[in-house]
Amino acid sequence: MSRRDAGADTAVNRLPVIVGVGMTKFAAERLDASARDLMAEAVLALLADAGMSDLKAVQHGLCSYESDHFNKQMTLAAILHDTLGLIPTPTVRVEGGGATGALALRTAWAYVQSGLCDSILVYGCETNGRGVSSQTANQLFALSADFDWEMMIGGTYTGFYAAMMRAHMHRYGTTPDQFAHVAARNRRNAGFNPLAQKPMDLTIDDVLASRMVADPYRLLDCSLLSDGAAAVLLATEDWARAHSPRFRTRPTVAYVATGCGTDTMRLGDRYPEMTNFRAKQAAAEQSYRMAGIRTPLEEIDVAELYDSYSGVEIQAVEDLGFVPHGQGGAAIAGGLFDLGGALPVNTSGGLLGRGAPVGATGIAQAIEIALQLWGEADSRRQVPNARRGLTDTHAGIATISVVNIFERRD
Amino acid sequence: MAEVTSRKDIQTVSSGDGDPWAAFRQIERLTLSLTQHYTHTLGKYSRFFIELEQKRFLATRCESCGRVCAPPRPLCPNCLQPTHWVELTGAGTVETYSVLHFSPGSNADVAALTTPYVLAYVLLDGASTLFPHLLRAEPEQVTIGMRVRIAYVDGPVEHPIHLMHFIPME
Ligand SMILES: [Zn+2]
Repeated sequence: MSRRDAGADTAVNRLPVIVGVGMTKFAAERLDASARDLMAEAVLALLADAGMSDLKAVQHGLCSYESDHFNKQMTLAAILHDTLGLIPTPTVRVEGGGATGALALRTAWAYVQSGLCDSILVYGCETNGRGVSSQTANQLFALSADFDWEMMIGGTYTGFYAAMMRAHMHRYGTTPDQFAHVAARNRRNAGFNPLAQKPMDLTIDDVLASRMVADPYRLLDCSLLSDGAAAVLLATEDWARAHSPRFRTRPTVAYVATGCGTDTMRLGDRYPEMTNFRAKQAAAEQSYRMAGIRTPLEEIDVAELYDSYSGVEIQAVEDLGFVPHGQGGAAIAGGLFDLGGALPVNTSGGLLGRGAPVGATGIAQAIEIALQLWGEADSRRQVPNARRGLTDTHAGIATISVVNIFERRD
Repeated sequence: MAEVTSRKDIQTVSSGDGDPWAAFRQIERLTLSLTQHYTHTLGKYSRFFIELEQKRFLATRCESCGRVCAPPRPLCPNCLQPTHWVELTGAGTVETYSVLHFSPGSNADVAALTTPYVLAYVLLDGASTLFPHLLRAEPEQVTIGMRVRIAYVDGPVEHPIHLMHFIPME
Protein backbone atom coordinates (compact mmCIF):
# COMPACT_ATOMS: atom_id res chain seq x y z
CA MET A 1 0.00 0.00 0.00
CA SER A 2 1.41 3.38 -0.91
CA ARG A 3 1.80 6.09 1.68
CA ARG A 4 -1.04 8.07 0.13
CA ASP A 5 -3.51 5.20 0.46
CA ALA A 6 -3.00 4.92 4.20
CA GLY A 7 -6.36 4.84 5.93
CA ALA A 8 -8.30 3.55 2.94
CA ASP A 9 -8.54 0.04 4.37
CA THR A 10 -9.21 0.88 8.02
CA ALA A 11 -12.05 -1.05 9.62
CA VAL A 12 -15.39 0.65 9.07
CA ASN A 13 -16.58 0.00 12.61
CA ARG A 14 -13.89 2.31 14.02
CA LEU A 15 -14.82 5.21 11.75
CA PRO A 16 -15.33 8.16 14.13
CA VAL A 17 -18.81 9.64 14.43
CA ILE A 18 -19.78 13.03 15.86
CA VAL A 19 -21.38 12.47 19.27
CA GLY A 20 -22.03 16.10 20.14
CA VAL A 21 -20.88 19.67 19.49
CA GLY A 22 -20.67 22.92 21.43
CA MET A 23 -19.31 26.41 20.92
CA THR A 24 -19.48 29.88 22.37
CA LYS A 25 -20.78 32.78 20.34
CA PHE A 26 -17.66 34.24 18.71
CA ALA A 27 -17.00 37.81 19.78
CA ALA A 28 -14.65 40.72 19.14
CA GLU A 29 -14.15 40.92 22.88
CA ARG A 30 -15.35 38.75 25.73
CA LEU A 31 -14.28 41.04 28.54
CA ASP A 32 -15.90 38.67 31.04
CA ALA A 33 -14.07 35.51 30.03
CA SER A 34 -10.55 34.08 30.06
CA ALA A 35 -9.55 31.25 27.74
CA ARG A 36 -10.50 28.70 30.37
CA ASP A 37 -13.91 30.33 30.94
CA LEU A 38 -14.61 30.22 27.19
CA MET A 39 -13.54 26.59 26.95
CA ALA A 40 -15.79 25.58 29.83
CA GLU A 41 -18.75 27.33 28.18
CA ALA A 42 -18.26 25.45 24.91
CA VAL A 43 -17.89 22.07 26.62
CA LEU A 44 -21.01 22.60 28.78
CA ALA A 45 -22.88 23.41 25.55
CA LEU A 46 -21.51 20.16 24.06
CA LEU A 47 -22.74 18.12 27.04
CA ALA A 48 -26.21 19.59 26.64
CA ASP A 49 -26.11 18.87 22.90
CA ALA A 50 -25.09 15.22 23.42
CA GLY A 51 -27.57 14.76 26.26
CA MET A 52 -24.74 13.81 28.60
CA SER A 53 -24.33 14.99 32.20
CA ASP A 54 -20.55 14.65 32.51
CA LEU A 55 -17.33 13.63 30.74
CA LYS A 56 -16.45 10.70 33.02
CA ALA A 57 -16.76 8.08 30.27
CA VAL A 58 -14.64 10.08 27.78
CA GLN A 59 -11.32 8.29 27.31
CA HIS A 60 -9.03 10.97 25.84
CA GLY A 61 -8.64 14.73 25.57
CA LEU A 62 -7.14 16.69 22.68
CA CYS A 63 -6.47 20.40 23.07
CA SER A 64 -6.35 22.77 20.11
CA TYR A 65 -4.85 26.24 20.58
CA GLU A 66 -2.34 28.13 18.51
CA SER A 67 -0.68 30.91 20.39
CA ASP A 68 1.11 31.08 23.70
CA HIS A 69 1.50 34.80 22.98
CA PHE A 70 -2.15 35.73 22.51
CA ASN A 71 -3.15 33.61 25.49
CA LYS A 72 -0.22 34.82 27.68
CA GLN A 73 0.17 31.26 28.85
CA MET A 74 2.35 28.32 27.90
CA THR A 75 1.06 24.77 28.52
CA LEU A 76 -2.49 26.09 28.25
CA ALA A 77 -3.51 22.57 27.17
CA ALA A 78 -2.69 21.19 30.62
CA ILE A 79 -4.65 23.98 32.30
CA LEU A 80 -7.71 23.42 30.12
CA HIS A 81 -7.56 19.63 30.61
CA ASP A 82 -7.57 20.28 34.37
CA THR A 83 -10.33 22.94 34.11
CA LEU A 84 -12.59 20.49 32.30
CA GLY A 85 -12.09 17.77 34.93
CA LEU A 86 -10.50 15.40 32.42
CA ILE A 87 -7.70 14.36 34.78
CA PRO A 88 -6.33 11.62 34.77
CA THR A 89 -7.28 10.73 31.18
CA PRO A 90 -4.50 10.99 28.57
CA THR A 91 -4.17 14.18 26.52
CA VAL A 92 -2.26 15.73 23.64
CA ARG A 93 -2.02 19.24 22.27
CA VAL A 94 -2.05 19.84 18.51
CA GLU A 95 -0.78 23.08 16.93
CA GLY A 96 -0.74 23.87 13.22
CA GLY A 97 -1.17 27.64 12.87
CA GLY A 98 -4.52 28.57 11.34
CA ALA A 99 -5.16 24.89 10.61
CA THR A 100 -4.87 23.97 14.30
CA GLY A 101 -8.53 23.02 14.83
CA ALA A 102 -8.78 20.92 11.68
CA LEU A 103 -5.42 19.27 12.38
CA ALA A 104 -6.67 18.50 15.90
CA LEU A 105 -9.73 16.73 14.46
CA ARG A 106 -7.53 14.86 11.99
CA THR A 107 -5.30 13.70 14.85
CA ALA A 108 -8.33 12.59 16.86
CA TRP A 109 -9.57 10.69 13.77
CA ALA A 110 -6.35 8.67 13.82
CA TYR A 111 -6.50 8.12 17.60
CA VAL A 112 -9.96 6.55 17.27
CA GLN A 113 -9.14 4.62 14.10
CA SER A 114 -6.00 3.17 15.67
CA GLY A 115 -7.85 1.84 18.68
CA LEU A 116 -5.90 4.04 21.08
CA CYS A 117 -9.25 5.23 22.43
CA ASP A 118 -12.95 4.84 21.63
CA SER A 119 -13.86 8.43 22.50
CA ILE A 120 -11.95 11.71 22.39
CA LEU A 121 -12.97 15.26 23.27
CA VAL A 122 -11.45 17.76 20.80
CA TYR A 123 -11.59 21.19 22.40
CA GLY A 124 -10.11 24.44 21.16
CA CYS A 125 -10.09 28.11 22.03
CA GLU A 126 -8.22 31.34 21.43
CA THR A 127 -8.34 34.89 22.71
CA ASN A 128 -7.42 36.81 19.52
CA GLY A 129 -9.88 39.63 20.21
CA ARG A 130 -9.40 43.11 21.63
CA GLY A 131 -7.34 41.86 24.56
CA VAL A 132 -4.46 42.96 22.33
CA SER A 133 -4.27 46.13 20.23
CA SER A 134 -4.61 45.57 16.49
CA GLN A 135 -0.94 46.53 16.11
CA THR A 136 0.12 43.92 18.67
CA ALA A 137 -2.14 41.39 16.92
CA ASN A 138 -0.47 42.15 13.57
CA GLN A 139 2.98 41.84 15.15
CA LEU A 140 2.12 38.51 16.76
CA PHE A 141 0.69 37.13 13.50
CA ALA A 142 3.76 38.44 11.65
CA LEU A 143 5.87 36.55 14.18
CA SER A 144 4.48 33.40 12.58
CA ALA A 145 6.11 34.47 9.30
CA ASP A 146 9.83 33.72 8.78
CA PHE A 147 11.38 36.06 11.36
CA ASP A 148 14.57 37.42 9.70
CA TRP A 149 13.35 37.31 6.08
CA GLU A 150 9.65 38.25 6.22
CA MET A 151 8.72 39.79 9.54
CA MET A 152 11.75 42.09 9.89
CA ILE A 153 11.22 43.70 6.45
CA GLY A 154 7.71 44.83 7.47
CA GLY A 155 5.85 41.92 5.92
CA THR A 156 2.40 40.97 7.22
CA TYR A 157 0.13 38.07 6.35
CA THR A 158 -2.32 40.53 4.81
CA GLY A 159 0.54 41.59 2.52
CA PHE A 160 1.53 38.01 1.60
CA TYR A 161 -2.08 37.09 0.77
CA ALA A 162 -2.47 40.33 -1.17
CA ALA A 163 0.64 39.55 -3.25
CA MET A 164 -0.82 36.13 -4.12
CA MET A 165 -4.14 37.69 -5.15
CA ARG A 166 -2.25 40.30 -7.22
CA ALA A 167 -0.60 37.39 -9.09
CA HIS A 168 -3.99 35.67 -9.50
CA MET A 169 -5.50 38.87 -10.94
CA HIS A 170 -2.52 39.28 -13.28
CA ARG A 171 -2.68 35.68 -14.56
CA TYR A 172 -6.43 35.04 -14.69
CA GLY A 173 -8.09 38.45 -14.79
CA THR A 174 -9.75 37.99 -11.39
CA THR A 175 -11.33 41.27 -10.21
CA PRO A 176 -11.95 42.98 -6.85
CA ASP A 177 -15.74 42.90 -7.33
CA GLN A 178 -15.49 39.09 -7.60
CA PHE A 179 -13.81 38.77 -4.21
CA ALA A 180 -16.08 41.49 -2.79
CA HIS A 181 -18.93 39.06 -3.54
CA VAL A 182 -17.41 36.69 -0.95
CA ALA A 183 -17.05 39.48 1.63
CA ALA A 184 -20.72 40.44 1.23
CA ARG A 185 -22.19 36.91 0.98
CA ASN A 186 -20.38 35.42 3.98
CA ARG A 187 -21.34 38.33 6.24
CA ARG A 188 -24.95 38.00 5.01
CA ASN A 189 -24.89 34.25 5.85
CA ALA A 190 -23.60 35.17 9.33
CA GLY A 191 -26.95 36.91 9.87
CA PHE A 192 -28.59 33.48 9.86
CA ASN A 193 -26.20 32.15 12.56
CA PRO A 194 -26.92 33.30 16.13
CA LEU A 195 -23.36 32.36 17.20
CA ALA A 196 -21.69 34.50 14.51
CA GLN A 197 -19.59 37.47 15.54
CA LYS A 198 -20.35 40.13 12.96
CA PRO A 199 -23.24 39.74 10.52
CA MET A 200 -23.44 42.64 8.06
CA ASP A 201 -25.73 43.49 5.19
CA LEU A 202 -23.34 44.80 2.56
CA THR A 203 -23.36 45.54 -1.12
CA ILE A 204 -20.35 44.87 -3.32
CA ASP A 205 -19.94 48.64 -3.61
CA ASP A 206 -19.75 48.91 0.21
CA VAL A 207 -16.83 46.46 0.18
CA LEU A 208 -15.11 48.30 -2.69
CA ALA A 209 -15.53 51.60 -0.82
CA SER A 210 -13.88 50.39 2.41
CA ARG A 211 -10.36 51.61 3.08
CA MET A 212 -7.39 49.90 1.44
CA VAL A 213 -5.35 47.74 3.84
CA ALA A 214 -2.93 45.86 1.56
CA ASP A 215 -3.71 46.40 -2.10
CA PRO A 216 -5.82 44.69 -3.51
CA TYR A 217 -7.40 43.82 -0.14
CA ARG A 218 -9.62 46.37 1.60
CA LEU A 219 -10.82 46.38 5.20
CA LEU A 220 -14.01 44.44 4.42
CA ASP A 221 -12.01 41.78 2.54
CA CYS A 222 -10.27 40.88 5.83
CA SER A 223 -11.56 38.32 8.35
CA LEU A 224 -12.17 38.95 12.03
CA LEU A 225 -10.09 38.69 15.20
CA SER A 226 -12.13 36.80 17.75
CA ASP A 227 -12.48 35.43 21.26
CA GLY A 228 -14.18 32.05 21.34
CA ALA A 229 -14.11 28.31 21.94
CA ALA A 230 -15.52 25.21 20.26
CA ALA A 231 -15.59 21.48 21.01
CA VAL A 232 -16.51 18.25 19.22
CA LEU A 233 -16.81 14.83 20.84
CA LEU A 234 -15.70 12.05 18.47
CA ALA A 235 -16.15 8.34 19.17
CA THR A 236 -16.78 4.96 17.65
CA GLU A 237 -20.42 4.39 16.82
CA ASP A 238 -20.65 1.76 19.59
CA TRP A 239 -19.34 4.19 22.21
CA ALA A 240 -21.67 6.95 20.97
CA ARG A 241 -24.74 4.71 21.20
CA ALA A 242 -23.81 3.59 24.69
CA HIS A 243 -23.11 7.04 26.15
CA SER A 244 -25.14 9.70 24.31
CA PRO A 245 -28.95 9.54 24.40
CA ARG A 246 -29.09 12.32 21.78
CA PHE A 247 -26.88 10.37 19.37
CA ARG A 248 -29.50 7.64 19.18
CA THR A 249 -32.18 10.09 18.03
CA ARG A 250 -30.18 11.87 15.32
CA PRO A 251 -29.01 10.80 11.87
CA THR A 252 -25.47 9.44 12.25
CA VAL A 253 -22.78 11.82 10.99
CA ALA A 254 -19.47 10.06 10.34
CA TYR A 255 -16.05 11.69 9.89
CA VAL A 256 -15.18 9.74 6.75
CA ALA A 257 -12.01 11.24 5.32
CA THR A 258 -9.10 13.57 6.01
CA GLY A 259 -6.22 14.95 3.97
CA CYS A 260 -3.24 17.15 4.76
CA GLY A 261 -0.70 18.88 2.54
CA THR A 262 2.21 21.25 3.15
CA ASP A 263 4.10 23.95 1.25
CA THR A 264 7.12 26.19 1.78
CA MET A 265 6.97 28.69 4.61
CA ARG A 266 7.90 31.64 2.40
CA LEU A 267 5.73 32.54 -0.60
CA GLY A 268 8.78 33.43 -2.72
CA ASP A 269 10.16 29.89 -2.42
CA ARG A 270 7.07 28.61 -4.29
CA TYR A 271 8.05 30.37 -7.52
CA PRO A 272 6.77 29.91 -10.22
CA GLU A 273 3.47 28.85 -8.49
CA MET A 274 2.33 32.17 -7.00
CA THR A 275 -1.43 32.19 -7.60
CA ASN A 276 -2.75 29.10 -5.80
CA PHE A 277 -2.31 26.72 -2.87
CA ARG A 278 -0.48 23.47 -3.72
CA ALA A 279 -0.92 22.18 -0.17
CA LYS A 280 -4.70 22.54 -0.49
CA GLN A 281 -4.68 20.62 -3.77
CA ALA A 282 -2.77 17.78 -2.07
CA ALA A 283 -5.07 17.72 0.99
CA ALA A 284 -8.16 17.65 -1.24
CA GLU A 285 -6.77 14.89 -3.44
CA GLN A 286 -6.04 12.66 -0.42
CA SER A 287 -9.41 13.23 1.20
CA TYR A 288 -11.34 12.69 -2.05
CA ARG A 289 -9.53 9.39 -2.63
CA MET A 290 -10.37 8.29 0.92
CA ALA A 291 -14.04 9.30 0.54
CA GLY A 292 -14.35 7.95 -3.03
CA ILE A 293 -15.16 11.37 -4.48
CA ARG A 294 -14.48 11.96 -8.19
CA THR A 295 -16.53 15.05 -9.05
CA PRO A 296 -16.45 17.22 -5.91
CA LEU A 297 -18.83 19.93 -7.16
CA GLU A 298 -21.57 17.32 -7.69
CA GLU A 299 -20.74 15.01 -4.78
CA ILE A 300 -20.33 17.56 -1.97
CA ASP A 301 -23.46 19.33 -0.68
CA VAL A 302 -22.05 21.97 1.68
CA ALA A 303 -18.57 23.26 2.58
CA GLU A 304 -16.87 25.56 5.05
CA LEU A 305 -13.91 27.22 3.33
CA TYR A 306 -11.00 29.10 4.93
CA ASP A 307 -11.89 32.68 3.95
CA SER A 308 -9.15 34.45 5.91
CA TYR A 309 -9.36 37.03 3.11
CA SER A 310 -12.21 37.21 0.63
CA GLY A 311 -10.09 36.26 -2.38
CA VAL A 312 -8.78 33.17 -0.61
CA GLU A 313 -12.20 31.61 -1.18
CA ILE A 314 -11.68 32.08 -4.94
CA GLN A 315 -8.35 30.28 -4.71
CA ALA A 316 -9.94 27.57 -2.53
CA VAL A 317 -12.80 26.66 -4.90
CA GLU A 318 -10.15 26.18 -7.58
CA ASP A 319 -7.69 24.20 -5.45
CA LEU A 320 -10.47 21.98 -4.05
CA GLY A 321 -11.38 21.11 -7.65
CA PHE A 322 -14.87 22.65 -7.55
CA VAL A 323 -14.04 24.69 -10.69
CA PRO A 324 -10.95 24.83 -12.96
CA HIS A 325 -8.09 27.20 -12.11
CA GLY A 326 -8.81 30.73 -13.23
CA GLN A 327 -12.60 30.27 -13.15
CA GLY A 328 -13.11 30.74 -9.40
CA GLY A 329 -13.82 34.46 -9.57
CA ALA A 330 -16.52 34.18 -12.25
CA ALA A 331 -18.12 31.13 -10.59
CA ILE A 332 -18.31 32.92 -7.26
CA ALA A 333 -19.68 36.14 -8.74
CA GLY A 334 -22.28 34.03 -10.59
CA GLY A 335 -23.65 32.72 -7.27
CA LEU A 336 -22.57 29.07 -7.66
CA PHE A 337 -21.54 28.95 -3.98
CA ASP A 338 -24.34 31.08 -2.48
CA LEU A 339 -27.24 29.64 -0.45
CA GLY A 340 -29.47 28.09 -3.11
CA GLY A 341 -26.51 27.59 -5.46
CA ALA A 342 -24.94 24.30 -6.57
CA LEU A 343 -22.62 24.06 -3.54
CA PRO A 344 -23.33 26.53 -0.73
CA VAL A 345 -20.15 27.47 1.14
CA ASN A 346 -19.55 29.28 4.41
CA THR A 347 -23.18 28.99 5.44
CA SER A 348 -21.97 29.76 9.00
CA GLY A 349 -20.63 33.13 7.87
CA GLY A 350 -17.04 31.87 7.58
CA LEU A 351 -14.01 33.59 9.05
CA LEU A 352 -15.34 36.85 7.58
CA GLY A 353 -18.68 36.79 9.39
CA ARG A 354 -18.75 34.06 12.05
CA GLY A 355 -15.25 34.89 13.27
CA ALA A 356 -11.93 33.13 13.80
CA PRO A 357 -10.54 32.42 17.26
CA VAL A 358 -7.67 30.39 15.76
CA GLY A 359 -7.68 27.19 17.87
CA ALA A 360 -11.48 27.01 17.65
CA THR A 361 -11.87 27.90 13.95
CA GLY A 362 -11.43 24.46 12.35
CA ILE A 363 -13.61 22.90 15.04
CA ALA A 364 -16.36 25.49 14.47
CA GLN A 365 -16.23 24.70 10.74
CA ALA A 366 -16.83 21.00 11.54
CA ILE A 367 -19.70 22.00 13.87
CA GLU A 368 -21.39 23.89 11.01
CA ILE A 369 -21.09 20.84 8.77
CA ALA A 370 -22.51 18.59 11.53
CA LEU A 371 -25.50 20.92 11.99
CA GLN A 372 -26.07 20.96 8.22
CA LEU A 373 -25.90 17.15 7.94
CA TRP A 374 -28.16 16.67 10.97
CA GLY A 375 -30.59 19.15 9.38
CA GLU A 376 -30.40 21.34 12.49
CA ALA A 377 -29.04 24.60 11.05
CA ASP A 378 -31.25 27.71 11.13
CA SER A 379 -33.81 27.27 8.33
CA ARG A 380 -32.53 30.40 6.58
CA ARG A 381 -29.11 28.79 6.08
CA GLN A 382 -29.97 25.06 6.08
CA VAL A 383 -28.96 23.34 2.84
CA PRO A 384 -31.86 21.01 1.96
CA ASN A 385 -31.03 17.29 2.32
CA ALA A 386 -27.30 17.89 2.83
CA ARG A 387 -25.59 14.48 3.02
CA ARG A 388 -21.89 15.20 2.56
CA GLY A 389 -19.92 18.20 3.81
CA LEU A 390 -16.31 19.38 3.67
CA THR A 391 -14.12 21.67 5.75
CA ASP A 392 -11.06 23.46 4.34
CA THR A 393 -8.62 24.98 6.83
CA HIS A 394 -5.08 26.22 6.47
CA ALA A 395 -2.12 27.75 8.26
CA GLY A 396 -0.05 30.69 7.03
CA ILE A 397 -0.52 31.08 3.28
CA ALA A 398 -1.61 27.42 3.12
CA THR A 399 1.73 26.31 4.51
CA ILE A 400 -0.23 23.49 6.17
CA SER A 401 -3.60 22.65 4.65
CA VAL A 402 -6.22 20.24 6.03
CA VAL A 403 -9.41 18.98 4.37
CA ASN A 404 -11.92 16.95 6.43
CA ILE A 405 -15.05 15.26 5.03
CA PHE A 406 -18.20 14.26 6.90
CA GLU A 407 -21.17 12.16 5.75
CA ARG A 408 -24.67 11.51 6.96
CA ARG A 409 -25.17 7.74 7.20
CA ASP A 410 -28.83 6.71 7.10
CA MET B 1 9.07 40.67 32.67
CA ALA B 2 5.36 41.36 33.29
CA GLU B 3 4.45 44.93 34.14
CA VAL B 4 0.91 45.63 35.31
CA THR B 5 0.30 49.19 34.15
CA SER B 6 -3.26 49.84 35.31
CA ARG B 7 -6.46 48.41 36.71
CA LYS B 8 -9.67 49.04 34.80
CA ASP B 9 -12.98 49.87 36.49
CA ILE B 10 -14.86 46.82 37.72
CA GLN B 11 -17.78 45.97 35.43
CA THR B 12 -20.82 43.81 36.00
CA VAL B 13 -21.88 41.96 32.87
CA SER B 14 -25.58 41.39 32.25
CA SER B 15 -27.22 38.21 33.46
CA GLY B 16 -30.87 37.20 33.25
CA ASP B 17 -32.96 35.53 35.94
CA GLY B 18 -31.76 32.07 36.83
CA ASP B 19 -28.23 32.71 35.51
CA PRO B 20 -26.13 29.81 36.86
CA TRP B 21 -23.10 32.14 36.85
CA ALA B 22 -24.78 34.97 38.81
CA ALA B 23 -22.09 34.83 41.49
CA PHE B 24 -19.34 35.31 38.87
CA ARG B 25 -20.57 38.35 36.95
CA GLN B 26 -18.34 41.08 38.44
CA ILE B 27 -15.35 41.43 36.13
CA GLU B 28 -11.97 42.98 36.86
CA ARG B 29 -9.37 43.61 34.15
CA LEU B 30 -5.74 44.77 34.21
CA THR B 31 -3.61 46.27 31.48
CA LEU B 32 -0.11 44.83 31.34
CA SER B 33 2.90 44.41 29.10
CA LEU B 34 5.23 41.47 28.74
CA THR B 35 8.83 42.14 27.67
CA GLN B 36 11.39 39.50 26.70
CA HIS B 37 15.04 39.96 25.72
CA TYR B 38 16.91 37.53 23.50
CA THR B 39 20.31 36.90 21.98
CA HIS B 40 19.28 36.01 18.43
CA THR B 41 21.84 34.09 16.38
CA LEU B 42 21.65 34.37 12.62
CA GLY B 43 23.34 30.98 12.48
CA LYS B 44 24.39 29.78 9.02
CA TYR B 45 22.63 32.82 7.49
CA SER B 46 25.26 35.06 9.11
CA ARG B 47 27.56 35.44 6.11
CA PHE B 48 24.67 36.78 4.02
CA PHE B 49 24.30 39.70 6.44
CA ILE B 50 28.06 40.21 6.91
CA GLU B 51 28.53 40.51 3.11
CA LEU B 52 25.53 42.82 2.85
CA GLU B 53 27.53 45.35 4.87
CA GLN B 54 30.14 45.18 2.07
CA LYS B 55 27.34 45.81 -0.49
CA ARG B 56 27.48 42.28 -1.84
CA PHE B 57 24.39 40.08 -2.24
CA LEU B 58 24.94 36.36 -1.71
CA ALA B 59 22.66 33.47 -2.53
CA THR B 60 23.28 29.75 -2.09
CA ARG B 61 23.70 27.23 -4.89
CA CYS B 62 23.32 23.45 -4.60
CA GLU B 63 25.97 21.55 -6.58
CA SER B 64 23.70 18.52 -6.98
CA CYS B 65 20.50 20.10 -8.33
CA GLY B 66 21.75 23.55 -9.35
CA ARG B 67 19.02 25.40 -7.43
CA VAL B 68 19.99 28.95 -6.45
CA CYS B 69 18.17 30.13 -3.33
CA ALA B 70 17.67 33.75 -2.26
CA PRO B 71 17.04 33.96 0.69
CA PRO B 72 19.85 31.46 1.18
CA ARG B 73 19.38 27.85 2.24
CA PRO B 74 22.50 26.39 3.89
CA LEU B 75 20.93 22.94 3.44
CA CYS B 76 19.39 22.15 0.04
CA PRO B 77 15.89 20.82 0.79
CA ASN B 78 15.91 18.78 -2.45
CA CYS B 79 19.23 17.03 -1.88
CA LEU B 80 19.85 17.43 1.88
CA GLN B 81 23.42 18.49 1.12
CA PRO B 82 25.32 21.63 2.16
CA THR B 83 25.13 24.38 -0.47
CA HIS B 84 27.77 27.01 -1.28
CA TRP B 85 27.67 30.78 -1.58
CA VAL B 86 27.36 32.56 -4.94
CA GLU B 87 27.21 36.32 -5.55
CA LEU B 88 24.32 37.77 -7.60
CA THR B 89 24.41 41.11 -9.44
CA GLY B 90 21.39 42.46 -7.57
CA ALA B 91 19.29 43.12 -10.68
CA GLY B 92 15.92 41.41 -10.95
CA THR B 93 12.27 41.43 -11.98
CA VAL B 94 9.13 42.02 -9.90
CA GLU B 95 7.01 38.86 -10.08
CA THR B 96 4.27 40.07 -7.72
CA TYR B 97 3.79 42.71 -5.01
CA SER B 98 1.42 44.30 -2.55
CA VAL B 99 1.01 47.92 -1.43
CA LEU B 100 0.69 48.02 2.36
CA HIS B 101 -1.31 50.88 3.82
CA PHE B 102 -0.40 50.19 7.43
CA SER B 103 2.88 49.31 9.11
CA PRO B 104 2.97 46.58 11.73
CA GLY B 105 5.88 48.43 13.37
CA SER B 106 7.69 45.12 13.87
CA ASN B 107 11.00 46.90 14.60
CA ALA B 108 12.39 50.46 14.47
CA ASP B 109 13.27 50.15 10.75
CA VAL B 110 9.69 49.16 9.92
CA ALA B 111 8.15 51.70 12.30
CA ALA B 112 10.08 54.42 10.39
CA LEU B 113 8.43 53.52 7.06
CA THR B 114 5.91 55.94 5.64
CA THR B 115 2.76 54.30 4.37
CA PRO B 116 1.82 53.18 1.82
CA TYR B 117 4.92 51.09 1.12
CA VAL B 118 5.53 48.36 -1.44
CA LEU B 119 6.34 44.74 -0.54
CA ALA B 120 7.81 43.19 -3.70
CA TYR B 121 8.71 39.60 -4.63
CA VAL B 122 11.73 39.85 -6.91
CA LEU B 123 13.27 37.18 -9.13
CA LEU B 124 16.92 38.17 -8.94
CA ASP B 125 18.88 37.40 -12.09
CA GLY B 126 20.42 33.95 -11.60
CA ALA B 127 18.12 32.92 -8.73
CA SER B 128 15.49 30.16 -8.65
CA THR B 129 13.30 31.70 -5.94
CA LEU B 130 11.76 35.12 -5.22
CA PHE B 131 13.33 37.44 -2.66
CA PRO B 132 10.82 39.52 -0.67
CA HIS B 133 11.74 43.07 0.33
CA LEU B 134 10.66 46.70 0.29
CA LEU B 135 10.57 48.34 -3.12
CA ARG B 136 11.17 52.07 -2.64
CA ALA B 137 9.07 53.45 -5.49
CA GLU B 138 5.81 55.26 -6.00
CA PRO B 139 3.12 52.56 -5.63
CA GLU B 140 1.46 53.72 -8.87
CA GLN B 141 4.70 53.05 -10.81
CA VAL B 142 4.97 49.43 -9.70
CA THR B 143 3.97 46.69 -12.15
CA ILE B 144 4.51 42.98 -12.44
CA GLY B 145 7.47 42.51 -14.79
CA MET B 146 9.22 45.80 -13.93
CA ARG B 147 13.01 45.69 -13.60
CA VAL B 148 14.50 46.61 -10.24
CA ARG B 149 17.87 46.45 -8.50
CA ILE B 150 19.19 46.26 -4.98
CA ALA B 151 20.12 49.55 -3.31
CA TYR B 152 22.55 49.15 -0.40
CA VAL B 153 22.16 51.28 2.69
CA ASP B 154 24.95 52.79 4.77
CA GLY B 155 23.72 52.10 8.29
CA PRO B 156 22.89 52.39 10.98
CA VAL B 157 19.92 50.04 10.78
CA GLU B 158 18.37 47.98 13.52
CA HIS B 159 18.01 44.64 11.74
CA PRO B 160 20.72 43.97 9.10
CA ILE B 161 18.12 42.93 6.49
CA HIS B 162 17.55 46.71 6.15
CA LEU B 163 21.08 47.15 4.79
CA MET B 164 19.30 46.67 1.43
CA HIS B 165 16.02 47.25 -0.34
CA PHE B 166 14.89 47.38 -3.97
CA ILE B 167 14.63 50.45 -6.21
CA PRO B 168 13.45 50.78 -9.83
CA MET B 169 16.17 50.14 -12.45
CA GLU B 170 17.20 53.44 -14.03
ZN1 LIG C 1 19.93 20.36 -4.28
